[in-house]
Amino acid sequence: MNDTNFGSIIRRRIIFLAIILFVSVIAFRLFNMQILEQPAYSTKADENSVKPIYQTAPRGVFFDRNYQVLVGNKPSFTLRITPAEYDNKLTPFLEAILGVPEGYINRILKQNDQISKYIPRRVAKDVNFKVIAWYEENSSKLPGVDYVIETQRDYSFGIMGSHMFGYSKEISSGLLQKRRNEYSMGDEIGFSGIEKTYEDILRGQKGIQYVLVDSHQKTIGKYKNGEEDKTAIKGYDLVLSIDKDAQLVAEEAFKDKRGALVAIEPSTGEILAFVSAPEYNLQDFASVTSNEIWNKLNSNEDKPMFNRATMSIYSPGSTFKMLSALAALEEGIIDTNYRVSCGGGFQFGDRFFKCLHVHGSVNVTTAIEKSCNTFFYQLVLKIGLDKWAEYSYRFGFGKKSNIDIPEDSPGILPTRKYYDKAFGVDRWPKGILVSLGIGQGELSVTPIQLAQYAALFANFGKSAKPHFLKGYIETSTGKFVEVNPKTFDINISSKSFDVVRYAMFKVVNGAGTAGNIRLPDINIAGKTGTSQNPHGDDHAVFIGFAPYENPKIAIAVIVENVGFGSVHAAPIARDVIKAYLQKNNAQQIKKSEYLGSLKGEEREDFAN
Amino acid sequence: MQINYKLQDKFDLSIFLPVLFLAIIGLIAIYSATVSHPTASGNFQKQVFSALVALIAFFVVYSLPQQVFKMFSVPAYAVSILLLILVLLAGKTVYGSRSWLNFGPFGFQPSEFAKVALILCLANWLTYKNRDINNIKDIGIALLIGFIPISLIMMEPDTGTAIVFMIITMSLIYWGGISLFGLFVVLSPGVVVIASLFGTVVFLISLVLVIVALFLFKRDLFNSVTVFVINLGASFFFDYAFRILKPHQQKRIESFLDPSMDPLGSGYNALQAKLAIGSGGFTGKGFLQGNQTQLRFIPEQWTDFIYCVIGEEFGFIGSILVLILFLILFIRLLNISGMAKDRFSVLVIVGILSLMFSHFAINIGMNVGVTPVVGLPLPFLSYGGSSLVVNMIMIGIVLNIYRNRKLHT
Repeated sequence: MNDTNFGSIIRRRIIFLAIILFVSVIAFRLFNMQILEQPAYSTKADENSVKPIYQTAPRGVFFDRNYQVLVGNKPSFTLRITPAEYDNKLTPFLEAILGVPEGYINRILKQNDQISKYIPRRVAKDVNFKVIAWYEENSSKLPGVDYVIETQRDYSFGIMGSHMFGYSKEISSGLLQKRRNEYSMGDEIGFSGIEKTYEDILRGQKGIQYVLVDSHQKTIGKYKNGEEDKTAIKGYDLVLSIDKDAQLVAEEAFKDKRGALVAIEPSTGEILAFVSAPEYNLQDFASVTSNEIWNKLNSNEDKPMFNRATMSIYSPGSTFKMLSALAALEEGIIDTNYRVSCGGGFQFGDRFFKCLHVHGSVNVTTAIEKSCNTFFYQLVLKIGLDKWAEYSYRFGFGKKSNIDIPEDSPGILPTRKYYDKAFGVDRWPKGILVSLGIGQGELSVTPIQLAQYAALFANFGKSAKPHFLKGYIETSTGKFVEVNPKTFDINISSKSFDVVRYAMFKVVNGAGTAGNIRLPDINIAGKTGTSQNPHGDDHAVFIGFAPYENPKIAIAVIVENVGFGSVHAAPIARDVIKAYLQKNNAQQIKKSEYLGSLKGEEREDFAN
Repeated sequence: MQINYKLQDKFDLSIFLPVLFLAIIGLIAIYSATVSHPTASGNFQKQVFSALVALIAFFVVYSLPQQVFKMFSVPAYAVSILLLILVLLAGKTVYGSRSWLNFGPFGFQPSEFAKVALILCLANWLTYKNRDINNIKDIGIALLIGFIPISLIMMEPDTGTAIVFMIITMSLIYWGGISLFGLFVVLSPGVVVIASLFGTVVFLISLVLVIVALFLFKRDLFNSVTVFVINLGASFFFDYAFRILKPHQQKRIESFLDPSMDPLGSGYNALQAKLAIGSGGFTGKGFLQGNQTQLRFIPEQWTDFIYCVIGEEFGFIGSILVLILFLILFIRLLNISGMAKDRFSVLVIVGILSLMFSHFAINIGMNVGVTPVVGLPLPFLSYGGSSLVVNMIMIGIVLNIYRNRKLHT
């Protein structure tokens, strides 16, 4: 056998070297991967197999000032589809069961097709329990379909409050770009009203469950036995300053009416009742809002989505007379002995400004009591635009109220600058100032501004910005944290206030324009007004406070297109005042008592 | 010690023990990869059964008279070709390859048995009387013996196995004593083919180089022209073959170049395998503790990706142990090839070595990410009865040759 012919030593060596070389390469590679780069590979491998599952946290609920629930939470079923496992053939079937139009599911799946197909999409919220029962029976035939229990807002506590509470909805992609670190796709975010302002404390913290998944994203078990899981933490419950009973009366009074009502506790600025009518049904926004509802709300001529109480601007009418009176008294331009003779109007230049009656000789008190225009036409000329505007501004007109909802309009407070801009310097039409004297003309105010104005009269110029939040309950500790905005003083002497307040008392309790709302046990002070508007019938206006001796509530009411304030606005104010004051306002139920009164499941919900 | 001495005389433990250890490690890894799997949890028991069958087959083959291998080489080759044709007509398709023949509850892959048949037949032909391996006609026939099963396997298609057959054929021709010119004849078409993939200019340059080389070899005109035509033909044939390459095959080539480019597509397995091995660290995560393995990130991990189970759960130590066992096996095979009493036996061992080494290199290379993903089992470790039985039969042949080595004649 000749070894050199076949299997020569050289050939064997070449093969030997090839084997050694290859094994060395592999060994070197293993050393690199398993020893040098092991940490990097480990991190990636962990990310690979551990999947976080987020649980939405229930939002904090809203209580009124006596811990009555205003807005709660309730569990709801959300049906989801995971596209990676889903069979499109099921779509017509599911759409029929859910009662949604054809193509609905496809549209939702398409909207989100840029994100991983392993992430479940919410297809239907607030699903009927019957559908869930059906799903449970047939789940094996429905790959990629599942449901989760989430919480949604519950508005079944008897009040609407749509414009103050506002609503939350799924975060838009634009907003998501900006707040990427805090929110993820499909999260709810406060969109209007209190839900928006207090979003940060209301939303709570999402829970995270880490699970091990296989390569099909199928859950196999818990990661580290759930050691690193976080349970969802409910958002802080808000204690609002609203008085549920007063709010109920106010809402009831505004049924089938348009307008707004704001009631404030004068010393604190706490809002006791808040209505913008017509209201809309927040329950329609608790889950998925159908296009049908959107269209109905948006095409409604009464604009139910518009917050009249803080956004709509009106002429204050005669309710603004007290401002001129107070300014003139405070500036020493007049005193209570100053009298004007009312012959039914006032001739200014070539124009005659009318009064409703012939009042004869009136002083400031009677002028307010009887709402004499003639007196105020002349008074505002004595005060002058600059002083008048300055006092108006001190009372909060022409600036935002800084209320704790995002909807807030400054209204229009005409000043020298305003008219110079509108007409040119020294080219103002005559009589502009005269109209302002009775709250007509370019002056435009919001109901919330009028309510604050009433509160400042009630409390001698001392109050705090109007607000809804009394405080919140920290979820972790259960502690109530009070929130008190700073009080301010507009620095007007109580001597001047005394005169005007007494006149307001006489409006209701003397021979004044609001004698119809006099109550035997509560002394109401107030002023009626009629707000002219170019678009239709006058709006009825009333502002007031009670009790006169020690005011606990100040109120502004505007009812659109109904005529005189005394007839249409003042009785609403009276009813709300009555409802609030008669209920012995001192009773403050402690939170613990509140919890004790809850039924088992409600309590659990609360404890969440 | 006398008994031991006698045992080593007839039975080479330095082949048998590494193989035994590898098979045991394989069983442990298969158990780990399948124990919690919903559909593959029975695979461990099946593999234990296959191992017993393989052990019996090993001892049977070991005990056979040595002449049997040469005697049966041509009939075995003929039968395996028939089976490869049969599998194309009546085979069962598994993972896109029509490679399984089923007889009732039992199934096997004809390509596994064709490996043995090819080695025996090629070794037989190359060592036949008066064979001149440097004769173009003889080289051509040797290539043809390899080319028939290769093209049948390509049609299944099973690229990995076809590559192994090519390597076996080349190795045997190389070991058969081919001259520099012969080597040039065999390898130049491959070079030209690869050059053709880089565009026309490179292809033309390679053809010019072939012509220059042919001049330098100073062979007669007939031989030179024949070689040139073979080169040209091969490149056109492969150009055609490349164009009809299936998209998933093209993707595999692309994804090998950058596995992270397409993490859930064809590069997915390669990436997951690397994560499993890399995250194993020095000592590994422990038996049944590898999350890549236990969470089934790598599909069918118990077959072609068994090595990353070891890498993840037993770490660097386990991975290196497997490397060392294979290294002992290969070096010893090389040694024994020098002890064989005839050319046929030498070539058979070299064939077996090249087969096992190519499986080893391609499989482990793919697991650690240095070669493309090509579906090939790791000998003795991967799940699969046919593969284990055939590998043990080949070890049986090797030890049979060892038993009858020239020191005893």
